[in-house]
Amino acid sequence: MPDDMQAVWLTVLLAGVTTLLLFPIASPLAWWLARSDSKGRSLVEAVVAMPLVLPPTVLGFYLLVMLNPESFVGGLWFNVTGESLTFSFSGLVIASVIYSLPFMVQPLHATFRAVPVPVLEAAATLGASPRDQWLNVVLPMAKRGYLTGGVLTFAHTVGEFGVVLMMGGNIPGETRVLSIAIYEHVETLNYQAAHSLALGLMCFSFLSLWLVYRYTGHRFEVVR
Amino acid sequence: MRNQLIIRGCLERARFTLDLDLSIDLDEPLGIMGATGAGKTTLLRIIAGLEPDFTGSVAFCGEVWRDGMIDRVPTHQRGLGVAFQDSRLLPGRTVENNLNFATQRAPAVDSRLDYMTLVEALDLQHLLRESVDSLSGGERQRVALARALLARPRLLLLDEPLSANDSAHRQQVIAHIGDWMSAEGTPFIYVSHAAAELAQLTRQVLILDQGAVRALGKTGALLEAGNVVSGTGPLSLAAVVVAKDHGSRTATLEFTDSDHAVGALGQGERVVVCREVSEGSGLDAPLQPESDEDQH
Repeated sequence: MPDDMQAVWLTVLLAGVTTLLLFPIASPLAWWLARSDSKGRSLVEAVVAMPLVLPPTVLGFYLLVMLNPESFVGGLWFNVTGESLTFSFSGLVIASVIYSLPFMVQPLHATFRAVPVPVLEAAATLGASPRDQWLNVVLPMAKRGYLTGGVLTFAHTVGEFGVVLMMGGNIPGETRVLSIAIYEHVETLNYQAAHSLALGLMCFSFLSLWLVYRYTGHRFEVVR
Repeated sequence: MRNQLIIRGCLERARFTLDLDLSIDLDEPLGIMGATGAGKTTLLRIIAGLEPDFTGSVAFCGEVWRDGMIDRVPTHQRGLGVAFQDSRLLPGRTVENNLNFATQRAPAVDSRLDYMTLVEALDLQHLLRESVDSLSGGERQRVALARALLARPRLLLLDEPLSANDSAHRQQVIAHIGDWMSAEGTPFIYVSHAAAELAQLTRQVLILDQGAVRALGKTGALLEAGNVVSGTGPLSLAAVVVAKDHGSRTATLEFTDSDHAVGALGQGERVVVCREVSEGSGLDAPLQPESDEDQH
């Protein structure tokens, strides 16, 4: 049971860090997608949405290939920090950020698209710089989008399995998150422990979605 | 030269090409008129730096705002106050919050036009705590006008700012605008379909027709047959002669171009003119038919 509590804490930590990192990463990306007329926009949209349709094991496999210490990125990380990205918490965070990217980008994209350009033009004529417009016009209008994106990203990261298994394995205190713990309990025929964790995850998922529907007043756009 | 506005260049639109070569002294208020789709709002947007496809130059008071396709001075640094026809208020916020957005970014300049004076004159005091989403079109326009004035602009652009207001509010606010602007010395451009408003507020008028400048001159001269400009159809200038001067600024005008001799101004009909005229003199009268049937 102490291992399970450790898994709960690690899962919450992973989901929290992933969500916090995705706010600044997804915001400019979603803004660009909402405002750009570039021909490359649909290409970027497709790349961002890929984790929605890609089997997690496929994504996990390529992340393993790209981030192992023999690769350029993984080698660079190893030289700087002295740690491997594979089978580590840091590697899990990077994998989760990539895997959960569409769950943050899509609600933000929808909310940014709803900010009327004429309102931003009016703000500019009143002396608001682009940064000022972003902070004092766009952000207040995008609160619901951020709430939706935050809740969905957190909940999705909590439920990750395939990518985590491929990238992190099952190291207690380092990469053994809730979904891995449930899998291990089933493998060892400890159904009682598996049931406790699974029920907890189910309740959490339900509460997350209820929160989104209750406080945003509209359906989120992530389609899987 | 103090308030010289120079605009040279062109902008292609689906319905017209706006081709401009203007040098206007804004020491005297400028009115812009023309039919719907003539390019009035587009011209204001070019001045405000909101038309990225405009190719040419814009300069005000000797300061180059745009050169070619590059904004030398971006919109937020031009010191403008713009009241858009569609208001463009910050949605989901109160009237007070919208006004504060302007005051917080306004330059610190001496002005007799303080917050409460404006709020009371524009009949907004009872609306300050209301959400702008719940306001009528006329109320929204008055908030937008107050917001533009509270920005303490170097140049005020008013795009049919009262079109959704009833005539009582329009008259009341127009009188205020004229007083305020002359007291503050702020140059302004006023776009309107209403000749009477332009005659009251401006000293010079620019008439646009399908993107082309049809006339630029003194308001009195251009709107001398002011009551002719009363319809909703496309505006055009018609050559007329004063057939008979009836005194008291009434005259019978006759079209010299027979193609125009129908519609709003019938042959032999008396009209009120805005200045003394002499029989036999020629005029260019703005003509705006009431309906499509009159547009011959």
